[in-house]
Amino acid sequence: MDSSTSVALEPLLSFLAFSLSQIESGFYRIPGSAVVARYVKSSHQNDPGRTILELILVIFAIRTLLQSRTRTDRSGKHFIRFSEKEIDELVDEWVPEPLVQPLSEWEQKDLNSVPVIAGPNGPKPKLLATGKIVTNLASFNFAGLAGNEKVKERALETLQKYGLGSCGPPGFYGTIDVHLDLERDIAEFLGTEASILYSQGFSTISSVIPAFCKRGDIIVADRSVNFAIQKGILISRSTVRWFDHNDLKSLEDTLISVEKDRKKRKGPLTRRFIITEGIFERDGEMVDLPKLVELKLKYKYRLIMDESISFGTMGRTGRGLTELYNVPASQIDMLVGSVANGLCSAGGFCAGSAIVVDHQRINGTSFVFSASMPALLATSGSEAITLLRNNPSVLLNLQDNIRAIRAVLEKTEGITLLGHRASPIIHFCLRTQQQSLSVTQSTYDHEAEERILQDIVDDSVANGVLLTRAKHLRGQEMIESRPTIRIAASAALTRKEVEKAAGVVKASVTRILSKRR
Amino acid sequence: MPSPMALNPPSRSPSIFKKKKSFSQLSSMTTAASYLSAVHQADTRARSHDNSSVSSTPALSLSSSVTASSEDTVLNEDDENNCLAYPFTPPTSEQVFTTVHTEFGHCANEAYRCVSKHDYSKPVQEHAIEEPPYYILLTTYISYLILLCFGHMRDFFGKRFTKSYFTHLMPHNGYAPLNSDFDSFYTRRLKRRMDDCFSQPVTGVAGRTIVILDRYSTDNNHTQIFTGSKTRALNISSYNYLGFAQARGGCADAVEESIRRYGVSTCGTRLESGSSELHASAEALVARFIGMEDALISSMGFATNSTFIPALVGKGSLVISDELNHASIRVGVRHSHAQVRMFKHNDMASLECLLREVISQGQPKTHRPWKKILVIVEGLYSMEGTLVNLPRIVELKQKYKFFLFVDEAHSIGALGPHGRGVTDYFNIPPRSIDVLMGTFTKSFGAAGGYIAGPKILIDALRLRGHSGSYAEAMTPPVLTQVVSSMVSIMGVAPSSQSTKSSLILSPASSIVTLKDSAEELPGMAPPSMLPTWMNLHPALADGSEARMRIRRLAFNSRYLHQGLKKLGFITYGHPFSPIVPLLVFNPGKMSMFSRMMRSRSTPIVVVVVAYPATPLVTSRVRFCVSAAHTKEDIDMVLRACDEVGGILDLKHGVGERWGIDEVCKRAVELVHSV
Repeated sequence: MDSSTSVALEPLLSFLAFSLSQIESGFYRIPGSAVVARYVKSSHQNDPGRTILELILVIFAIRTLLQSRTRTDRSGKHFIRFSEKEIDELVDEWVPEPLVQPLSEWEQKDLNSVPVIAGPNGPKPKLLATGKIVTNLASFNFAGLAGNEKVKERALETLQKYGLGSCGPPGFYGTIDVHLDLERDIAEFLGTEASILYSQGFSTISSVIPAFCKRGDIIVADRSVNFAIQKGILISRSTVRWFDHNDLKSLEDTLISVEKDRKKRKGPLTRRFIITEGIFERDGEMVDLPKLVELKLKYKYRLIMDESISFGTMGRTGRGLTELYNVPASQIDMLVGSVANGLCSAGGFCAGSAIVVDHQRINGTSFVFSASMPALLATSGSEAITLLRNNPSVLLNLQDNIRAIRAVLEKTEGITLLGHRASPIIHFCLRTQQQSLSVTQSTYDHEAEERILQDIVDDSVANGVLLTRAKHLRGQEMIESRPTIRIAASAALTRKEVEKAAGVVKASVTRILSKRR
Repeated sequence: MPSPMALNPPSRSPSIFKKKKSFSQLSSMTTAASYLSAVHQADTRARSHDNSSVSSTPALSLSSSVTASSEDTVLNEDDENNCLAYPFTPPTSEQVFTTVHTEFGHCANEAYRCVSKHDYSKPVQEHAIEEPPYYILLTTYISYLILLCFGHMRDFFGKRFTKSYFTHLMPHNGYAPLNSDFDSFYTRRLKRRMDDCFSQPVTGVAGRTIVILDRYSTDNNHTQIFTGSKTRALNISSYNYLGFAQARGGCADAVEESIRRYGVSTCGTRLESGSSELHASAEALVARFIGMEDALISSMGFATNSTFIPALVGKGSLVISDELNHASIRVGVRHSHAQVRMFKHNDMASLECLLREVISQGQPKTHRPWKKILVIVEGLYSMEGTLVNLPRIVELKQKYKFFLFVDEAHSIGALGPHGRGVTDYFNIPPRSIDVLMGTFTKSFGAAGGYIAGPKILIDALRLRGHSGSYAEAMTPPVLTQVVSSMVSIMGVAPSSQSTKSSLILSPASSIVTLKDSAEELPGMAPPSMLPTWMNLHPALADGSEARMRIRRLAFNSRYLHQGLKKLGFITYGHPFSPIVPLLVFNPGKMSMFSRMMRSRSTPIVVVVVAYPATPLVTSRVRFCVSAAHTKEDIDMVLRACDEVGGILDLKHGVGERWGIDEVCKRAVELVHSV
């Protein structure tokens, strides 16, 4: 019995032995196979368990490679299998929410109260709703460039040569020579190596930040930065540490603690950025630039500073905080400004070293994927720079007007003026029982305050002064800021006009607040 | 490499800036004489020459009588290239052209027109991808491999021997490198080799032709040096679909008037006193153009998506996005905190499968039902030229109850018998789609974007979108360009039908109550919708010129598409798409294609795109056809492609092949054949 079985199996066994030897000789013919075999043999001799482990690893690697790369929940443990019929039923059952929630009564009122200007905007625009001429304390016309004849003339000349649209992104024949000219003008104006032009001011910094800050990098940012910066930080996926609003002591503490953390964890050297604003859009505070630069250099951070409000308004000729504090602009690694606000045209820019700028030409999302700005808006910006350079007295007027407005409003009962005294935007909020000057700490009824402020705005518009509340997206901002009215000073108004207008605002505040009590 | 003819220093003639008179006055006086003499010359040339080849036509020498005219708008100071400056077929005495030939080509032949409209007797074309032969794929991969190896070798040695080039990639002085050498490898080692094909600075109007500033590099494209000379080239690259990129003509006149009246800026955000009456009337007009209840305008096309999508969806919502959607949509979705799932490009089966999965599974882990599902697709995809299968998506929308967002950045104006985009092309009522978004950069020759939808939605977006509170408002010149070009596409209704009182502008939003005709599309614009100071040329006001533009665009798109196919090239996209991608595969051929086209006797500028904008192997040339091109221009492009493509071995398409002469001769037949 035994022998017969073994006889029957013999050809099979011999075939197996033969094929095994064939495979073996074939394997050894592959160059380098001897090394592998020797390795496997010796490792198996030392530790048979390891061979099994390695085998499992190889199988796992092959499985991972073969798996489809598309993200799917199908194989996940949370996936529930349904039959086609069940899916049809679920589809029928599902009732989606409406795409948007309709506006509340207050929101509708808010929207309806937005002023619409008939004709050109400027120091004395005409309102569409009433047909009345008002004094403008709301629009960003700091240096009084709105409606400037020279700017218009330059725009018309450009129109006749370039038409309007650029019809393409900068990479694909959308870079017009006038864009390069404005970039050079801005860089020369500020004293940096180069600058890059974006076609919308708001989208500039939210594209600059993610171009440099990547996952794993460290951002130390002011708690009260504007919405565009918040969005940029969100997109960057970097590690963020916040410091107290405009408090450089808090900044230094944060920088020290970050450094401590890194030493403790023995982490690798990552890119580190400080992100803040020159003049804060939210409340008009001004950063102490020399101290900031000192800290940045001491702790070896790169500085991204948003000068959307301060560029074109601060310093002798409007170069911004760098001119005001006499700090070389090259000390700020990425200086972001707004051509729309400061130069009364459209778009934004980022100035810095040639390397910083060139990097953005490929990695700045809203630079690469957006059409470049119309040529005539670029030349308007260039013309505005020339005007600022040649007329430093304009910004002296602006400062005079700021002082005049503050002087009147400081004496007004019931409101608190915020911000730096030289800031061209002047915020004021309602004074509450706590007398708290801090915008963030007090407890207050947000919507009720908004309503009161809106009443003040409406009243002062009715009396011939255009005002606006500082609009914020409630619930989308990182911190809820106190509702304020934002006054934008302008050099285009005379001191007398400004004082009269501030008087009207004061009267409106007093009138509305006394009505409430 | 600068073109040889650009080496001649440009002849100086008095600048056109010095003119104070508007063009409309000029064109009737001084230009007529010079124009006629130019035309006469072109006529002589056409007669004396056998018209077999356009590009071989010798450059016409300028007679002194032509250049002596200082008020010459037909010839610009830098025009040495007369093949582009004069129409190939001289106009007859009856034909009057109001456009400048270099901006908007003269084409009077009514045969060269076509209507872009979906034929419902045929199924919607699937996104078919033609594969190249294997050796092309193999050589493409090998090219990239060689580029990678060389790149890494150069990095290895460069970091050791030429440290100055690498300082920003290495830690120095306690700072981490500004960008990692790994992240920037592709840019430094692959893209820089062909940087001369990208970001080419230009000057003047991006119309039918474009003037490029010649440049060269002595240090392997690290820096570009401008020679100071300029070259006029045929422009088949700008998104100028309807040819509204013009420095002369009705739209430019309107913009000029608006700058005089309004200045260049409205100084603020829409909600904070930067709103002008122009915004309100432009928004009303856009709503009417699109056929939606209401619309809003944003000053930047990219920002239209990135700042308004977050106001539509949020946590607990799902966005289903086509895998090839534009970067702005991705950024917008990232801002919104909504979940995202992708489906295969334009693949309706994949979309339906995904919809069934996500609705039945609900939110991940919790399995709660999704609050809402928003499907975001583009009308016309900018890299592929593919058209969304809208009829099928609308069907799916009925069944699966998702909301539909269609980004018509490229399709608005460019598609459909009335230029109203994909909805017009497929004859689908626009209101069956929830949100229609688009840009003004492309077909309208302006800038910025819009979102159109039900009034309740648009009002919410006005208040809750990021742009309203934080971003600068659109500037008056841009608004005017939008209004004038859009009105000319719509045509102005005869004034007797509606009176001034029908337009009611409420302060914040633009509600225009025109109940009777709002539903029907295409509607004409009531005269009350135009600013009172805007006087459009009769040809613009009655819509006849824009109709011609739309039909010329359809003809040109189709002709280039079919022509390239017949010549044996592999192309992607829909035959009516003005975006025509021509596949070149090998990275080296891409730059060569661009350079060879640019250095022809009549230069042609083209856009080449490669990874990461496209998959690694399918590098391509992307042509953007315009209504401004004449049939002869497309002939010229085809002829150039035929020659260059022959040298570079690009003809790998299947199907019947024709010779270039046959293609040019049988163009009309070719266009109407499919």
